[in-house]
Formats: sequence, C-alpha cells, structure tokens
Amino acid sequence: MKIAVSSDSSNLNARVALRFGISPYLIIVDPETMEFEAIPNPGAAGKQAAGVQAVVVAISKEVDTVLTGYCSPTAVKYLADNGIDVVTGLKGTVAEAVAQYRKQACTIPARRMDKPDFAGAALLHALKRSGMQIVNLLPIFVGVVLLIGLFKAFISIDLLPSIFSGNALLDTLLGTGLGSILAGNPLNSYVIGGEMLEQGVSLFAMTAFITAWVTIGLVQLPAEMAALGKKFALIRNALSMVLCMVISILTVLTYYTVSGSN
Amino acid sequence: MNTEGNEIFADKKSGFKKLIFPGCVLMIYGIAVVISPVGAAMAFRSSTGILLNLMVPLGLVFTLMVFMNLFLKPTHIVRFLGKGSSSRGIILSAAAGIISMGPIYAWYPLLKELRKNGAANSLIAVFLGNRAVKPFLLPVMISYFGLMYVALLTLFTVSGSLAAGYLVNTLAKD
Repeated sequence: MKIAVSSDSSNLNARVALRFGISPYLIIVDPETMEFEAIPNPGAAGKQAAGVQAVVVAISKEVDTVLTGYCSPTAVKYLADNGIDVVTGLKGTVAEAVAQYRKQACTIPARRMDKPDFAGAALLHALKRSGMQIVNLLPIFVGVVLLIGLFKAFISIDLLPSIFSGNALLDTLLGTGLGSILAGNPLNSYVIGGEMLEQGVSLFAMTAFITAWVTIGLVQLPAEMAALGKKFALIRNALSMVLCMVISILTVLTYYTVSGSN
Repeated sequence: MNTEGNEIFADKKSGFKKLIFPGCVLMIYGIAVVISPVGAAMAFRSSTGILLNLMVPLGLVFTLMVFMNLFLKPTHIVRFLGKGSSSRGIILSAAAGIISMGPIYAWYPLLKELRKNGAANSLIAVFLGNRAVKPFLLPVMISYFGLMYVALLTLFTVSGSLAAGYLVNTLAKD
C-alpha cells in the first residue's frame, strides 16, 4: 500500500501541507515499513492546473490514499475516479498523519471518497459520466448540423465541387489543409465529411479532411509545444500531415480496389 | 493567485465558450428568417433530417461510452504508457490512444509528466496518433461511410501512427 502525504518539506518530520495541489512536496510512504520517497510537486508554484499536476503525480506513483489538509473538489474527483481515497483535515507531521491513518484515528473532519459499494453504483457513475460527455459535445454538434442546413439551403451546390477539382493529389492536399485548421470532436468531422460526399466532393478529399481533423492540431499546436516541447510538437505535426495524405490515398485506393467501385 | 479552484472556474468558462458557436448559428438563422423565411425553413428541415438520421447511431455511441467509462479508468491508460519503448509498450500505447476519451488538451499535463518520467517520444507519438481511432464513434462513422471503408481507414490510421512513432523517435532525438 502507498500513501501520498502533502508536505512542507522532504522528510517524515515535515508538517503536513495545508493544500494538496500547491504543497511543496508529496511524500509517498509505505505505511508498513515507513520507507518513503519525497517528490517535489510540479504544481507547487500555484500556476495554472496546479491541482492537476499533483493529481498526476499521485496517479503515476500508483498511490492508494492521499492524506492532506485540504483538497479541492475537482482534485478529489480526479483522484476518486482513479480509485484513490482522499482524507482531509490532517495536521501535524507526515509521520504522525500516517500513524493516525494506520490506527484509524482520523476522527478529525475527514473526507473519504467511497468506492462504489454496490454493483449499481459503478453503472450509475458510468451513466452519469457518459451523459455529461454527450451533453458537452452537443452544443457544437448541433451548431454544425444547423450550419449544414443553412449551407444546403442558401449556398450553391456547385461551390464545393468547384473548390475540390477531383484530382486525387490536389483534393487530398486541400482536404488535409482544411482538416488541419479545424478542430473539435471527430463526430463533427464525420457529419461535415458526409455532407461533402453528398455535395460531390471526392472520397480522397473527404478522407484527408476527417483524418487531418483528428491527427493534426494546428489550433492546439501552442499547447502541445508547451507540454511536450517545440521540437517534438513541430516534428510530430509535420509528420502527421504527410502521413495523413498517405493514409488517405492508401485507404481510398484500397477501398476502390476491394469494393470494385470508383 | 492561481490555485486548484481555478479549474472549476475554467470548466464554467469553457462551458460558456461552447455556446458561442451554436449561438452565432442561431443568430444567422434569425437573420435568415427575416430575409428568406422559406429558405430558413428549408435549412431547418434539412438539419432536423440529419439529426433524426443520427439518433440511432448516437444511441449506440452513448452505450459504448457507458461501457468504456464502466471498465476503463484514466489510471489504466496512464499505466499503459509507462512501459518502455519495446514492442509491447508500443502496442499498449496504441491501445491507450484508442481508448482515451475527452479533448486532447486535457491529456497534455499527463503526457508531459509521463515524458518527464521517461516515457519515450515514440510512445507519446503513437498515443496521439491513435486518438484518431474512436471506437465509441464507430456507429456514426459506419452509418455515414460504410463498414468496409471505416475498417480500412482504421487499419491504415493505426499503421500510420506506428510509423509516426518510429519517425518521431528518430527525428526528435535530443
């Protein structure tokens, strides 16, 4: 078993830090042997997503329980989703907090996330989570569908085929370019892609469009560079652009060969 | 001072942002009704037709999402990605990318941390490439493009992501 304790310093005699997300250290302790590892909290500076970074440390270290003074509801939710219990309201040193927890002496106001104790609870949680995911993607999805309706009613049906010439290479390039600058849930790209086909746009262009939509993120490039480094992000996106075109052409050519259509 | 509480504020802010696009489309509808009521009615009928056609596939999407939420936790995905750059690690990273859900920016802090802890560039690239395969959206995709096309695109996308992993690892070496 592993316990993570928010701490002001890097040893067992340090005080339990009040706030989990911005505590200077997380001490990962084995309560049986009291062996420990002190990990500097990447979110200690309190900058953006501080809580998430401490949560990531707890998850990646595979801890079972977090002991702290206070933990935000969002961090508690993330931890609970990963099967990690959270006990708040702890004071004193790290060693004392662990001892208190071991003796089940946490009579102080504690917040413990209950794991589902009956089969239906897990299903209810999954239903609720899925419902939220669907609700989250609905506004943009409905907006896209309404926009397609406007497009069909007011824009000439010759417009799209006039942009996409029917040339496999050129259409693939245009589809990749268009898909690269747009972003969002792939569901929207399928609806737009379906409409493109209906309007006479080639399968090459549509395939490149829906592939680029999910594999290339020009809009998200700054975020990817910040998280994974400029070099990695630029190389990955440039490669994805080339591979997107290769994937599209291979998919369509194989499809035509297998289905016997063109 | 920025603290954990900001995440909740950020959630509300992004929730509001999501309404800007459909709000703008509704405004265009409002203008269309004034300019051309017949055209606006046609547009609305066309949109409701698309929505009705997607009801059954969306129902299946919801069912698949429930199953994935029931049996897969983010911690499983994180653990998949932590395994070296062996062929097993690559397969697990591909699987992690396929089953991961939610917007990509939500995964960046996690990927950053994993990379700092030694996850290879190839695994991160394979994970990101395989996010293009969305099992829970397959019903919608198949209803639009057919089973054979979707199967081929999925096959080539997974193969492409493996190639991307290899190439990124070679080219992005520090």
